[in-house]
Amino acid sequence: MAEKKKLRIQDLAKIREKTKALTTIRESEGRAKITVHMGTCGIAAGAREVMEALLAEIRKNKVQDVIVATSGCAGLCNREPMATVEFKGQPPVKYADLTPQKIKKIFAEHVLCGRLVPEYALAVGSETVY
Amino acid sequence: MITFRMNGLEVSAEEGWTVLEAARFYGLEIPTLCYYEGLSPYGGCRLCVVEIGHGPKSKLVSSCTYPVEPGLVVRTDTKRVIAARKMMIELMVSVAPSSKVLQDLASQFGVTKVRFEPRREECILCGRCVRMCAEQMDGKAIGFQQRGYKKKISTPFDLKSAECRLCGGCIYVCPVCQLRCQGPKAETVLCNGCLAMDPTCLDHYEDLQCWMYDAGRCGTCVREKTGSRP
Amino acid sequence: MKHYRAHLLVCAGTGCVSCGAFKIKEALEREIRKRKLQDEILVIATGCNGFCERGPILMVHPDGVFYQQLTLEDIPFLVEEHLIKGRPVKKLMYIPPAEKDPIPRMKDIEFFKHQRLVVLRNRGRIDPEKIEEYIAFDGYEALAKALAKMKPEDIVAEITASGLRGRGGAGFPTGKKWAAGHAAKGSPKYIICNGDEGDPGAFMDRSVLEADPHAVLEGMIIGARAIGAEKGFVYIRHEYPLALKRMAIAIDQARDYGLLGEDILGTGFAFDLEIVTGAGAFVSGEETALIASVEGRIAMPRQRPPFPAQKGLWGKPTVINNVETWATVPNIILRGAKWFSGLGTKTSKGTKIFSLVGKINNTGLVEVPMGITLRDIVYGIGGGIPDGREFKAVQIGGPSGGCLPAKLLDLPIDYESLTEVGAMMGSGGMIVMDDKTCMVDIAKYFLNFLRDESCGKCVSCREGTQRMWEIVKKITEGTGTEADLALLEEVARTCKDASLCGLGQTAANPVLTTLQYFRHEYEAHVLDKRCPAGVCKALIRYVVVAEKCTGCQSCKNACPTQAIKGTLKDVHLIDQTKCIKCGACQEACRFEAIEARREEAIAIV
Repeated sequence: MAEKKKLRIQDLAKIREKTKALTTIRESEGRAKITVHMGTCGIAAGAREVMEALLAEIRKNKVQDVIVATSGCAGLCNREPMATVEFKGQPPVKYADLTPQKIKKIFAEHVLCGRLVPEYALAVGSETVY
Repeated sequence: MITFRMNGLEVSAEEGWTVLEAARFYGLEIPTLCYYEGLSPYGGCRLCVVEIGHGPKSKLVSSCTYPVEPGLVVRTDTKRVIAARKMMIELMVSVAPSSKVLQDLASQFGVTKVRFEPRREECILCGRCVRMCAEQMDGKAIGFQQRGYKKKISTPFDLKSAECRLCGGCIYVCPVCQLRCQGPKAETVLCNGCLAMDPTCLDHYEDLQCWMYDAGRCGTCVREKTGSRP
Repeated sequence: MKHYRAHLLVCAGTGCVSCGAFKIKEALEREIRKRKLQDEILVIATGCNGFCERGPILMVHPDGVFYQQLTLEDIPFLVEEHLIKGRPVKKLMYIPPAEKDPIPRMKDIEFFKHQRLVVLRNRGRIDPEKIEEYIAFDGYEALAKALAKMKPEDIVAEITASGLRGRGGAGFPTGKKWAAGHAAKGSPKYIICNGDEGDPGAFMDRSVLEADPHAVLEGMIIGARAIGAEKGFVYIRHEYPLALKRMAIAIDQARDYGLLGEDILGTGFAFDLEIVTGAGAFVSGEETALIASVEGRIAMPRQRPPFPAQKGLWGKPTVINNVETWATVPNIILRGAKWFSGLGTKTSKGTKIFSLVGKINNTGLVEVPMGITLRDIVYGIGGGIPDGREFKAVQIGGPSGGCLPAKLLDLPIDYESLTEVGAMMGSGGMIVMDDKTCMVDIAKYFLNFLRDESCGKCVSCREGTQRMWEIVKKITEGTGTEADLALLEEVARTCKDASLCGLGQTAANPVLTTLQYFRHEYEAHVLDKRCPAGVCKALIRYVVVAEKCTGCQSCKNACPTQAIKGTLKDVHLIDQTKCIKCGACQEACRFEAIEARREEAIAIV
């Protein structure tokens, strides 16, 4: 987008594709939402590194339609770092005891392909609905 | 040829004529002040307003600037027009009471009171002088400055003009520069002297000599009407 | 495009900027860098969010959380709590007056809930200085459709079918104007955007230009195609520096991308435009005066016909439309005339932006569908009158409009219904007044504005506004008579009838509507020599109510002219010869012991 060439009509759609992240985040219209729990316990346990790894994956795969959010402590402090993955219309899935490697796998399997990763999952469903 | 209606009559005019020109052609009297033949029309004094259109959509427009169009319906002397004319004259007399032209108009249209505090600025911003200087004398030495109640006519930055050739054209066309006669009550805001007098000129002349043409020149208006003033 | 997990949108409309929005943005960026979050969180400055009462404003996305009245001290805490720990900060959220719980999400707040954003769809949502963000939200799609799939006649037909009427004030059917421009003979043809918003209290056009300049550009390019114009001008008053800056940036970016200039979007259509800055006159918002101003002449209107669509700028066919009108066009082309005409009333389609100001809780900019009632705007969106005061009147349409009383609160807003009651839609300024406002004083204020802004060409307006102001001033000073009232009405009617342009023709509206709906106030000033609202200084006298005075000396200390005498614990007395009626004593008194009473008599020596 840095090079300023004269646009043709089809270029408009291309720019929209490239900037899809904008609409996703500002309209809160993502395909999926990943919440990384970052209460004091979570941060102490390494939630920041998990968050960074997740964002690196998103950038690497040039994914534009997921929302990443943070939230306070989820309650289960001895299982931190935790993350919740929610797809629109489906019950949320909570993952626990995370590391940067584990979040990479969860991203590849669950977020990209839609396949839950049972060995890292803690519970399915909760009081919040996305 | 464009046909339209004026005061109920069906009339024709050439394309490009204004309603005022058509009215004058047909002998209909519409008073003017800022209009001067030979200069471009300005539409500022609002004396020449006429009512066009029908019913609730009718409106007043200045006839000196309104071009004739087919199907137009014009009325030159409706209630709204008369009220507007009288108010314009009243407003202008309160600004320039020393003008013969304005005093004559006041008598002509029955303006018998001026209810505003006189300002005696002696310029009614009709713009005749500006247009005369620019259009006929090719001088462009004077123009309008400021806006609204602060508007005035002057040279650029009020400096002595290098363009002005002292031709006197501006004074010639100025309606205020034509000073009023020094008749009865000369120092009042509104004279109306002619309304109170009995024209004696018909004792001496075949035609009426008074304010419709040249007030005071003939010198025969000396008798005051007995009884109350109008 | 780099992926950020959160976007912080700082409102940077002129209102919030004057409250320090750019400093807030810098503080956010500093704090984010300090916490090493700069690769995760994006901070941008948007145009006006609309809820101007509560600035500085910050929106956090994707959460949709609305923060208001921020200070620099709040920033570190906000970043720590919300952005790192994920706990939105309750004390910085909006709490409706008279309630206790904050409302975190913007879309749940009353002020925003009832609005219908069409022209303002991008407000607070995009960085107006980045064309890519405009394109991301379907920007320039309408232009692509108009150039590739529609003929100029089709575009004109679509605008006509939508029922769009000029948003500058007069409400002239836009389709009709475009059809005239399309059919006019002459070349080259021009289009002009009228951004000379002059009404006191109105800032709709400013906000559109600051928040979404590309919407205006897109509308103008589409219009140029429909009419056959190759050059356009965006006329913005010089009192709007931020709007001028953002429009200039927008035009440069559009040109870089080939959306202006030769061969737009590869369709062969050529059109370009430039900005013209106003020179400080309200009258240059009038079509013909604006044209004179662009031509470099003094801004004085001329009579129409000939209309600008036939003979406008430099004698060529010119179509002039207001900022809001141009910004509505892309929506109509993209979503269809049928969709647009589904909003609003039978004669007034679509939405309208109003600037809600004055004595109202929720000051700001609102866009609502036509047909909404005044009551819904004042009480629903506006949140009612502050300090528990009573609604008295709402002035709609700026100095050309009228003051409507409480009994007309259920009037649906559309062009015809407002004209019927003597007011006017105008450009959309809406000034709410409470019972401490004197309507005669308001008439005086607007007349003072108009006599200053009148171009001075025609006698009826120049002298009319001056004389009307003199009479109303007399009335507020207590020397008015009944004959003055009759004269005022007469001058007002003539000014309305005989004036050359819209300014003069509507200059009498403030007087005529206040005389119609608030005649009792005029009569109180004239017959009783009393100002019921306690505003006109010559007609009130401040006195100490002996029974309530505790002798605390607060008033004495507050008085700037030492007009109050009294010792501690004794009833105080105001010396009327020294009193300048500033009201400071009344404000300082905690026991409501100072009253503004009517003058007993005005001695004329």
